[in-house]
Amino acid sequence: MYGGGNTFEGIKNDGLAQENPEKLAAFEARIARGEKIEPTDWMPQLYRKQLIRMIEQHAHSEIIGALPEGTWITRAPGFKRKMALMAKVQDEVGHAQLLYSAAETLGKSREQMIDDLITGKSKYSNIFNYPTFTWADCCFISWLVDAGAIVNQLANAKGSYGPYCRALDRICAEESFHLKYGHHCVIYLATGTAKQRAMFQEALNRWWPPLMHFFGPSDKISAHTEILMRWKVKMSSNDDIRNQFLDMYVPKIWELGFTIPDANLKKNEETGKWEYTEPDWEEFKRVINGDGPCNKERLEVRRIAEERGRWVREALKSPESAYVMPLA
Amino acid sequence: MVHSLDPRVGRLPTIGTPGMVVPKVPLDQLGTFEVFVQPKEGKPFQHEGIVHAPDLELAYVLAKETFTRRFTCTSLYVVETRHVYVSPTTEGGVSVAAVLPAITGPDGEPLSFELFMLPKRGKQHVHIGTVMATLPQEAMHRGFQQNLHGGKTVYNLWAVRTTDIRFTTPEEKELWLTLPEKKFRDAAEYKGGDKLKAFLEKQRP
Ligand SMILES: [Fe+2]
Ligand SMILES: [Fe+2]
Ligand SMILES: [Fe+2]
Repeated sequence: MYGGGNTFEGIKNDGLAQENPEKLAAFEARIARGEKIEPTDWMPQLYRKQLIRMIEQHAHSEIIGALPEGTWITRAPGFKRKMALMAKVQDEVGHAQLLYSAAETLGKSREQMIDDLITGKSKYSNIFNYPTFTWADCCFISWLVDAGAIVNQLANAKGSYGPYCRALDRICAEESFHLKYGHHCVIYLATGTAKQRAMFQEALNRWWPPLMHFFGPSDKISAHTEILMRWKVKMSSNDDIRNQFLDMYVPKIWELGFTIPDANLKKNEETGKWEYTEPDWEEFKRVINGDGPCNKERLEVRRIAEERGRWVREALKSPESAYVMPLA
Repeated sequence: MVHSLDPRVGRLPTIGTPGMVVPKVPLDQLGTFEVFVQPKEGKPFQHEGIVHAPDLELAYVLAKETFTRRFTCTSLYVVETRHVYVSPTTEGGVSVAAVLPAITGPDGEPLSFELFMLPKRGKQHVHIGTVMATLPQEAMHRGFQQNLHGGKTVYNLWAVRTTDIRFTTPEEKELWLTLPEKKFRDAAEYKGGDKLKAFLEKQRP
């Protein structure tokens, strides 16, 4: 799962002056032709840096995103829901594996990525810093957070970096089960008892603001990303992706008779765009910088897992092992 | 201790100091292995990605979990990344065949190599056949001579010693037999349409 997040803050284009102009032109022409960039191709430093950052954040988001849902496996209602949720969480962790590998082809080691996650140097989707109080919170993630991630991932799958696109194709194919399963869970709550309906309504009230944050800061305040759009690193603006999500899912939420906690939310039929109360970007920044309800817990769980696994990895390490960058 | 809604998190042992990371040493995450999957009987194996693992055997197990959990699969194999010989990559209409020097290996017992070609930039490498040679470059050259690439433009070619590969044994093929039975992770199993329709009808004034 992954949204627009804070991936592209503070880009400076001046670095481009140091690039070889001929190589840069050939690189841009390749992208303009719709060809993919592969690990052994020449690429500008800025491209490499931003891609590592984006793919790495995506990988961290998958692995941290498994935590708020994973905690509900033992308490999911009934055997079938438990099996499904377990399979979904396993998928998410698998997505992290695919994405770490794609980032690795750009030259950052997996060791460094994991260290950077635990120290807080690298980020992940902000939304996973919020707690899942009830089963309905878990259903909200399965349906709507995954839906948001899918909108974003489908766009990114058309990007320019070959290994990332191939990983995303695999991921998107698996996501269709997550989305259907999540919607199914919510339909059951919506058509259930008054208590069940109230439980989902409360979850919706809690999660709507973080979900609006999920697509990243408004275009009005976010960093300039024209060059990343031209290089097909970023495929659409945060506001466009947010609008696309609202267009697809607000009607489905309303159909179930739930109220979205934003009195200003409505589609402007003239512009075709959704209007909404501007999300609280101060809270977004605060939570990204570590001050959310679950930031510490999420990182501690990862840190302890890494520490506890260390002796196993050491015991398994073979003296003949040598590191070679993955091929594709 | 972490304060969490999840009792299992509360029960985690205390190890090290929160926020303090013991930096990982090189190879903490072990070496990498390339994974090839055969999606259907009779189809060629294709490259799917990598896994990190301590050895071929565990790489095989992890590859099975990572790449063949969901889609049809009839066979799988893995090879250490460093055992894959890689040709130069070409572009435009130029094939690797045109840039590969014609190398003849030294005299001696020829070895078996598997060849994988990239038919289009952005796609995956696919298996095209097996050749005998004494050197990987010679194997690639022979592959072209024998037209294993079917006359197609090849943008990149890999050669792997057959003995470096961990194949699926005939008995292991049953690993994937139960895949279609695992309906709980199949999108088609989650049809809420009827329940939703009944609900919407009831809402109507
Ligand atoms: Fe994702
Ligand atoms: Fe995912
Ligand atoms: Fe998902």
